[in-house]
Amino acid sequence: MSHSVEVSTKEAWDGGVSPFKVSYGKMMMWFFLISDALTFGGLLMSYGFIRHKYADVWPKAEHVFTHFPFVQQHLPLAYVGLMTFILIMSSVTMVLAVEAGHRMDRRGVTVWMFWTIIGGAMFVGSQAWEWYHFIVGTEEGALRNVWDMGKQAYVQQIYHGATMVTNEYGVPQFANYFFFITGFHGTHVFSGVVINFIIFMNVLKGTYEKRGHYEMVEKVGLYWHFVDLVWVFVFTFFYLL
Amino acid sequence: MEFNDNYPQYEKMSNHDEAYGKKSRRTLWNVFWIMLAITIFELIIGSMAPGHGWSGTLWLKVLFIGLTLVKAAAIVLWFMHLGHEVKFFKYIVLVPYFVFMAYAIFIILTEGTYAGKPTNVTRVDPLFIKQQLDLKAGHHGGGGAEHHEAEGEHKTETHSEEHH
Repeated sequence: MSHSVEVSTKEAWDGGVSPFKVSYGKMMMWFFLISDALTFGGLLMSYGFIRHKYADVWPKAEHVFTHFPFVQQHLPLAYVGLMTFILIMSSVTMVLAVEAGHRMDRRGVTVWMFWTIIGGAMFVGSQAWEWYHFIVGTEEGALRNVWDMGKQAYVQQIYHGATMVTNEYGVPQFANYFFFITGFHGTHVFSGVVINFIIFMNVLKGTYEKRGHYEMVEKVGLYWHFVDLVWVFVFTFFYLL
Repeated sequence: MEFNDNYPQYEKMSNHDEAYGKKSRRTLWNVFWIMLAITIFELIIGSMAPGHGWSGTLWLKVLFIGLTLVKAAAIVLWFMHLGHEVKFFKYIVLVPYFVFMAYAIFIILTEGTYAGKPTNVTRVDPLFIKQQLDLKAGHHGGGGAEHHEAEGEHKTETHSEEHH
């Protein structure tokens, strides 16, 4: 130990200093995000395995996600592209809110937080819309062996839409992973919107103005960017590849 | 390594003035435009996919994953501000995840082949195989389910639009 140590061991262990120069709350938010990222990583990994296992019968996203509101034509991936744009946009407004907070610009924080919440709500709504069309399915449907409770046997019939058991797009696992991964991400977005809203109310009340810093905005900002980060990966692995 | 620091209020350390704010806003918008350009590029390539999809094209997969990593790095380093944190903190966040990712890639590349080969390992309903073959042959509608017409036993003319 050749370093000069100005603090005694006792003093150091008493706390009050951070070798990382971050506050406790921000560090814990980062640690939470690591664990959450591991969860999503595990989900995407298992998705990769199952998709590889059923590679020959796995539906292509370009064939499944072709709907767009108010448009009759099939526009593959256009809607999910719009959703991605909305989420990236709301990530930018969030980071601008954080930046305004660093300048103690209460008005700036209010405005940018507001747009972030709007963007998040739009994304959740878009996801609900996408789920709706996924579950209802297409008019033509597809031939499936569906379990008939009365006959106690599988019966071939045209099947529309998707449930956890059967779907018209391909193997059942496709719908299962769609529901689970986008659902888990959507839950994160929804809770992010709720947390953003709570912080937004505090900004309006002037809580952070009194406190002298807007670090709470930065912390929820970290969470919000993480949600965007996860979507970047979900978008690639579920829709593009 | 400096252990004792004189910042009792870490929360206020990150506050900055107007001039710095202007500079950092410009950086953030630049990051946004780059991310937007990447996403639009990915979508254009994705929507140009032929009937059987891009899924067989290895170099495109690698490109998409690479662009995704660029976007992820942009989010983490600039939007989440990790690039400006103390070096050790940066590593404490990134190293566990990189270890996990290295393991994930290793296990997928080794065990993935064990899980694969759908037709001879797993029993798959022949209907799924037929549906995907028809899709690859160019029959794709909304749900990609034109194959029952080819079979000829279901003459349901519920939909009129046919497009390739």
